[in-house]
Amino acid sequence: MIADKAIVCACEDVTVADLDEAVARGFGDIESMKRYTGLGTGPCQGKSCLASAVRYCADRADLPPEARVPFRARPPLSPTTISAFAGLPESIVRHRESPLQPQAARPGPHPLQPREPLPAHASVVIIGGGIMGLALAWNLASRGERNVIVFERGYLCEGASGRNGGGVRAQWSTPTLVELAKESIDFMARFAQELGINVWLRRGGYLFLAEDEPTLRRLEAGAQLHKKLGLATRIIDVGEACGIVPELDGKGFIAASWNPEDGVVFPWPFLWGYADGARKLGARIETFTRVTGLDVEGGAVRAVETDRGKVRADRVVLACGAWSPSLASMAGVTLPNVPYRHEIVSSEPLKPFLGPLVSMLGSGLYFSQSMRGEIVGGMGDPEEPPGLNQTSSLRFLARYSRALSTLVPRTSAVKLLRQWAGCYDLTPDHSPIIGETPGVSGLLQMSGFVGHGFMMAPAVARRMAEWMGGAKDEIFERFNLSRFAEGRLEKETFIIG
Amino acid sequence: MTEPLSFTLDGERQKGVRGDTVASALLRSGVTTFTRSIKYHRPRGPFCFAGSCGQCLLRVDGVPSLLACRVPLEEGMRCERQNGPLGMEADVLRASDFLFPKHLDHHHLLVGSQLLGRVALEIARRLAGLGRLPDETGAPERGTVAHAQVVVIGGGPAGIAAARAAASEGAQVLLVERGRRLGGSALLEIDPEAPGPEWVARETERLGGVEVALEAEALGVYPNDSAEDGQARDKTDAPALIAIRRRQSLLALIADRVVVAAGGVSQPLPFPGVDRPGVYAARGLLELARTTGVRVGSRLCVVGEGIELLRCARALRTAGYALARVVDASGSWPFASGSDTPEPAPDLPFLRARNLRARGRPVRELRAESERIACDAVAVALPPAPLHELASAAGAQTHFSRELNGFAVSVDASGRTTVPWIFAAGRVAGSSGAAGPQSGSAAGTAAARSREKR
Repeated sequence: MIADKAIVCACEDVTVADLDEAVARGFGDIESMKRYTGLGTGPCQGKSCLASAVRYCADRADLPPEARVPFRARPPLSPTTISAFAGLPESIVRHRESPLQPQAARPGPHPLQPREPLPAHASVVIIGGGIMGLALAWNLASRGERNVIVFERGYLCEGASGRNGGGVRAQWSTPTLVELAKESIDFMARFAQELGINVWLRRGGYLFLAEDEPTLRRLEAGAQLHKKLGLATRIIDVGEACGIVPELDGKGFIAASWNPEDGVVFPWPFLWGYADGARKLGARIETFTRVTGLDVEGGAVRAVETDRGKVRADRVVLACGAWSPSLASMAGVTLPNVPYRHEIVSSEPLKPFLGPLVSMLGSGLYFSQSMRGEIVGGMGDPEEPPGLNQTSSLRFLARYSRALSTLVPRTSAVKLLRQWAGCYDLTPDHSPIIGETPGVSGLLQMSGFVGHGFMMAPAVARRMAEWMGGAKDEIFERFNLSRFAEGRLEKETFIIG
Repeated sequence: MTEPLSFTLDGERQKGVRGDTVASALLRSGVTTFTRSIKYHRPRGPFCFAGSCGQCLLRVDGVPSLLACRVPLEEGMRCERQNGPLGMEADVLRASDFLFPKHLDHHHLLVGSQLLGRVALEIARRLAGLGRLPDETGAPERGTVAHAQVVVIGGGPAGIAAARAAASEGAQVLLVERGRRLGGSALLEIDPEAPGPEWVARETERLGGVEVALEAEALGVYPNDSAEDGQARDKTDAPALIAIRRRQSLLALIADRVVVAAGGVSQPLPFPGVDRPGVYAARGLLELARTTGVRVGSRLCVVGEGIELLRCARALRTAGYALARVVDASGSWPFASGSDTPEPAPDLPFLRARNLRARGRPVRELRAESERIACDAVAVALPPAPLHELASAAGAQTHFSRELNGFAVSVDASGRTTVPWIFAAGRVAGSSGAAGPQSGSAAGTAAARSREKR
């Protein structure tokens, strides 16, 4: 017997009922529908379901004609082995300056922009509907601040919060980040109970591999700090590391740092959960709405201009990740953050074989196995030029495939399904910028989380909401924008990539 | 004349012939369930026979999730079905199909309890994934770099015409075709108004000067950010970098211009049971019959929309199938039809129905409204969705069209897309059937000329 399901996406077993549910919950645009239902994320990558989904959206979700766009096609066109990409010639892997120009903004308002008028005033306007902004909105609303509005220029998950690998760890080199991460991971473990949606935190541990002595010394210093702070991190030898991940080639590293309590989450529901929670408490989450200006008068921010009109604001929070400098410049503020592209690729779904997230701190290679069974990983690129670039490259697939198949030889016949990119939001000292803005009162900074804002957001947002409510908190002094002018940097060195 | 081959499926000996794919050999032996689906463990078999749908994934010689319809059968191959841990026929995990008869809402499953949530996580993790890690390790497959002034992706009528036109403008042209021969959809003889095999044979003769790469599949079109530059002799900054798979290794192709003429992809119609073994894409069955002579039974129900439905039904009849019913499902769930009302078709056992249901494993009955139609298999005939992915991933704009049943790459009259170095032709650009060659010629000419102007 086979149940009478009407399957739309055979790869991921997505049914018509799934699409109905997605539309009912507000995921009626094609990118959100893909993320919410899983449609188009299997071996065929949407080649056999996109047409049905769009016809469905057009007819059932009233998707306007201008919004009938395909979800972003992600190479490769069909599943292709890691060994094929690993064998690409050196001249393809070698880098030339990126020929890409940033994509021009779509003229006019987004076709999916909500029609309702905006309120004339909000106590807090948060710019950026990523994990930081949404977590802050929920924390503020939970503390009774109901007049909060979040502006997001695209769909939820369009930025870096929807593009990261989902790794969460407490292994950092500065005590504050360890503390923030610990609290955040604890919150993730009870996220489903607090916010009603599964983020599938799987605590498979984080295994940092040291390929040379200097890296090992960094890991050792980290492990000592972690011990003091109550983390289970310890340095293990190659044999023990290979016991944890038997597929590793032990010749590729000399020792490892192991924390069994770190893990991976499924990033998207994190944003949806916070957004939904904030909405239920009265906050407004305005997607497909672009901020076009910040009104500053008499040294204070007064209003936020958008392509749907102006909202007066008592306080404005900049939480736009790599886009923060361009938003800050609207208020005449210069941020030192620099955007850098980071690329990621996902493999075919495999039966579980890999417990931890594995990372080479030196080369910047990292990979883990998602709850869906895919190997999701990336690799930093020392030659990557700065810029807001979210396009994919063949060079990345070649570099990643070489590194992964060398470290885990049994992956060589595994096939890659789709690649994408997001932007790191890099500060000069790899530490965030949070708190007041010197010279513009009411303008609050919440950016510069490099590539790890995702895993810090629960704690950072809680503390920020309390601090905004009047509580004292030294981190908003210590990580203030003024530190760069004053020359007191907070160097974090456990950065992947 | 046909060389017999023997291979195994889940350890049992099977027979096929040289020229079979793994999929055609299994169908020849009457095997229709190839795998269990990822979430509900529903039985699945091949659908598209074109390497695009992902319903026929098998483990072959220790490598997981290979498209059985694209793997040429070899003597002694070990094929294993996946995701049926307790046996493919009696997979008890199919219970999830009944426990969640509409759908399983994994986002909100057991959110009330941290403990139950953790249990759910452990269970979900164990059930996730499709294939096991490959048995063997392997070395990188050494790839190569090549250069071309104009690369044409797709060797159907539009691609052939584009390559010929670009070459006649003096460009050095590489024509890349995924299949074993040129012709694409023309070889299926579906559309009497469009070019057929004779056209392909004639035009292939005239491709002098065009380099043709067969069994070469384009995987991605990227802006060229590599250290490789254009050809030494003209020192152009070639803007395109195309990843092409030839067997196991990659060819990185540096090019001045790309013409995407990769055709379309067969689409299922989401009625209950469409995913069951025994429901196939109509074009897929035609391809299967053409390349291997395999037929999936003798009596077919053909379901679909518009002119594509009628033409595929006639082509299937010509290919040797009896037609139990030809069911026009225009306007059936979940969407209004984009296809024109079909021409009168007195030669076909025609029926209009909105409510469809396929029953049996493999499917032996189609229920169309109140009618129960016995058949050996169901063929789905919708217009193939344009394969926009190669061009759109590189930034080319697309537009949705109900008539085309998907997204076409937006082009002007000369096949220019919104990316200056990408051109599109044929179904990809919305010019299917008889309009294919002309759109190809225009795009090929414009691609070659735009290069000279640089």
